[in-house]
Amino acid sequence: MWELIRVNKRNSVILLAAMGSVLLLLGFTLGYLFGGAPQAGWFGMLIAAGIWLFMMLISLSSGDQILLSSAKAVPVTADVHPMLFNVVEEMTLAANLPKTPKVYIINDPAPNAFAAGRSPDSASIAVTAGLLGKLNRDELQGVVAHEMSHIIHRDILFVTLAGVMLGSIVLISEIFLRSMFYSSLGSRRRYSSRSSNEGLAQIVMIVVAVLFAILAPIFAQLLYFALSRKREYLADAGGARLTRYPEGLASALEKIAGSTVTMETANKVTAPMYIANPFRGPKAMHLYGTHPPIEERIRILRNMSHGAGYINYEKSYEEVTKRSPVVPASALKEEEVAIRQGAAPSKPEQTTRQQARQVGDLMRTVSAFAFLACGGCGLKMKIPPNYKGAAVSCPRCGQKSTLPQ
Amino acid sequence: MDCPICKTAMIVLELEEVEIDYCTQCAGIWLDAGELELLLDNADRADSLLRSFTVAKADEKKRKCPICLKKMEKVRVGSDEDRPELIDRCPKNHGLWFDRGELQEVLRRGHFDDAGRIRRLLGDLFFSEPKNSPQ
Amino acid sequence: MAIGAGLIGMLVVLGILVLLALFVVGIYNALVRLRNQVDNAWSQIDVQLKRRHDLIPNLVETARGYMQHERGTFEAITEARSRAMGAHNVAEASKAEGALTEALSKFMLVVENYPDLKANQNFLSLQETLTSTENKIAFARQGYNDQVLFYNNKIQMFPSNIVAGMFNFAKRDYFEIQNEAERSVPKVSF
Repeated sequence: MWELIRVNKRNSVILLAAMGSVLLLLGFTLGYLFGGAPQAGWFGMLIAAGIWLFMMLISLSSGDQILLSSAKAVPVTADVHPMLFNVVEEMTLAANLPKTPKVYIINDPAPNAFAAGRSPDSASIAVTAGLLGKLNRDELQGVVAHEMSHIIHRDILFVTLAGVMLGSIVLISEIFLRSMFYSSLGSRRRYSSRSSNEGLAQIVMIVVAVLFAILAPIFAQLLYFALSRKREYLADAGGARLTRYPEGLASALEKIAGSTVTMETANKVTAPMYIANPFRGPKAMHLYGTHPPIEERIRILRNMSHGAGYINYEKSYEEVTKRSPVVPASALKEEEVAIRQGAAPSKPEQTTRQQARQVGDLMRTVSAFAFLACGGCGLKMKIPPNYKGAAVSCPRCGQKSTLPQ
Repeated sequence: MDCPICKTAMIVLELEEVEIDYCTQCAGIWLDAGELELLLDNADRADSLLRSFTVAKADEKKRKCPICLKKMEKVRVGSDEDRPELIDRCPKNHGLWFDRGELQEVLRRGHFDDAGRIRRLLGDLFFSEPKNSPQ
Repeated sequence: MAIGAGLIGMLVVLGILVLLALFVVGIYNALVRLRNQVDNAWSQIDVQLKRRHDLIPNLVETARGYMQHERGTFEAITEARSRAMGAHNVAEASKAEGALTEALSKFMLVVENYPDLKANQNFLSLQETLTSTENKIAFARQGYNDQVLFYNNKIQMFPSNIVAGMFNFAKRDYFEIQNEAERSVPKVSF
C-alpha cells in the first residue's frame, strides 16, 4: 500500500512534467506565431503558465467542492443511509485513514461512485442513489473500498493536477484554433504585402502551429488516460485487499456494467473520477480510454482464487490480460493475504417498480421531502420541502394530516 | 415539480408502487411517462399509449408541461365524437395532465387503456365508488 | 594555503555531519509517526469492542419478546459480554471477545427462524449496527496488522534499522486470532 503511494508519486511527477512541457511549448509556438519573434514566444509561454497557475490555484483550493457540486452531490447524515455510513467507517478502519471521509449521495438513478479531495484528511466519497438501490452490503463495501484506495493512493490529487493541466491545454488550443478560423482571411491579406518568401515561411509556421494545437490536447489526453487506466486497476487491487473479498467488487462492477442508464450528472472532465465510465452508448466511445474495459476488471477480480493481496491481483492480472505487470514490483513484497468469505446475502429480487420506488424515495430523502402516511386510509404521500401549507388533506379519504416540521 | 396551473409545488402520492403528482389546490393530476411505463410494465406500451391519442383543436387554455415547460397539446380521450373529453399531453411525451374532474370523466367513460390498469389504479386512488358501480 | 585547505576540509566534514543529523532526524520522525499510527490502530480495536458491549443489551431486549424459546442463546450472549467486560488482561480479553463473537453469530443463525423478528424495523436497524460493529472489529484488526507489518518492515530495513536501534524502537506483535473459526470475518448472515 505504502510502496504503491511512493511509486504513484514518481509516476505523477513524470506525467505532470511531460504535460507541463506540452503546455509551455504550445504557449511558445502560439506566442511566436502571433508576435513573429522569439520574445513573443517567451511571452506566450508566460501566459500559458499563467493560465495554468490560475486554474491550479482554484482547483487546489476548492476543486473537490466544484467537482461535488457539478455532480449535484448532496452531503448526507448517517440516518439517511446507515449502511452506507457503516461501510465507509469500516473501510476507514481497514485503510487506517486518519479521518472518515465525508459522505455524499448523488441524485441519479444510474449506479456509480467517485471520491474527491486532495489528501486523506479531507476526502469525500460520493455514491449515486441508483448504486445504493442495486447493491447488497458486500458489493457496496467493494465499491467504497475501491474509492478508499483512490484516496490512499493519492489518485485524486493526481487527477486534479493532471485534469487541470489537460484542461488548460485544451482551452489554449481551442482559443487558438477558433481565432485562426475567424482571422485567417484578414491576416492573409496583411501578409501578402510582404515578400513571397516571408509569406511562405509564415504559412509554414501557421501550419506547424495549427498541427501542434490539434495534436497537443490529444497527446496530453493519451498520457492522462493511460495513467488513469492503470490507477483504476490499482484501485481494484486495493479494494480487493482492503475488503479481503474480491467477489464483492466484481459483482458490484457487474451490476454497474449491466445498467443501461447514462449518468445525467457526469461530464467529460469528471468522467475519469467515477468507478466506471458514466457514459453509455455512442457517447462512451470518445471516453473509452478513461477506464479499462469493465468485463476485464471483473474477470481479473474473479480470477483471484488464492488470496486478496496485491501479489494475488498481479498474478491474476497477468493470467487474464497476458500483459506486463500492473502493480509495481516493490509493492509485491508483502505476504499473501487470505480471502474471507462473503457475509451479505444477495439483494432480494425486486420488481422494477420496487427498485424505482426505493431509489426515488432515497433521492427524495436527500432533497428533504417529508414522508407521510394518511391516518385514515394509509395512502403514502411525499411532500416536497417547498410545499406551501402546514397540512395536507388526503385526496382519497379526505382526512387531514399535519406536516412534520 | 410545480402544478402547471397554480405554479405551486405538487405532492406525490404512491399507490401500488406507482406514483402520481397531485396538486392540493386545484386537484389536478400529473401522470408521468416513467410512471406510466412502470404501471404498464413496458416502455413501448407506455409510449404507444401516449401516442395513441389524437390531437384535437380546442379553445381551452394551453398548459405548460411541468417537466420541460413546453406548451402541451390537447388530446382526445374516448370514442364519443360529440362530446370528446380533452386532456393535456406534453409534446415531448413526458406525461399527461388531467384538470380537476377530467380524470373522473375519463374514468367514468371507461376508455383509456386496454388492460384497464390505469383506470383501476386511479379509480382506487380517488373514487371508491366506481369499483362497485357497473362497468 | 594550508590553513585554507584545513578550513575547507573542516567545513566539508561539518557539512556532512549536518546532513547526517538531518537524515537521522527525518528517519526518527518517520518512525515516531509510524509508531503512533500503530498505537492509534490498536486503540481503534478497543473502541469497536466497547461499541459492541454497549449494543448488546439493546439487541437482547428487542429480540427477547419474539424469541421465547431461546433463553439459552440470550444467556450465552449476556454471559460472554460480562466476561469480556470484566477481563483483566489482553489474553483474557481476546479469549472472551472471541467467545462473544461466536455467541452472536449463533444468535444470528437462530434469528433466521423468526420471520416476525426479522420484519421488525427496530431490530433491522440494530442488526445493521451489529453487522457493522462485527465488521469494524475485524477491519480494525486487519488495519492494525497492516500497520504493524509496515512498521516492523521499516525498523528492520536499512537504513532506518540503524536509527531504530539507536532509539530503541521495538518490534510490535501482530494481533493473532485465537481460533480457526474466527479467522474469517464472522459470518453474520442476514
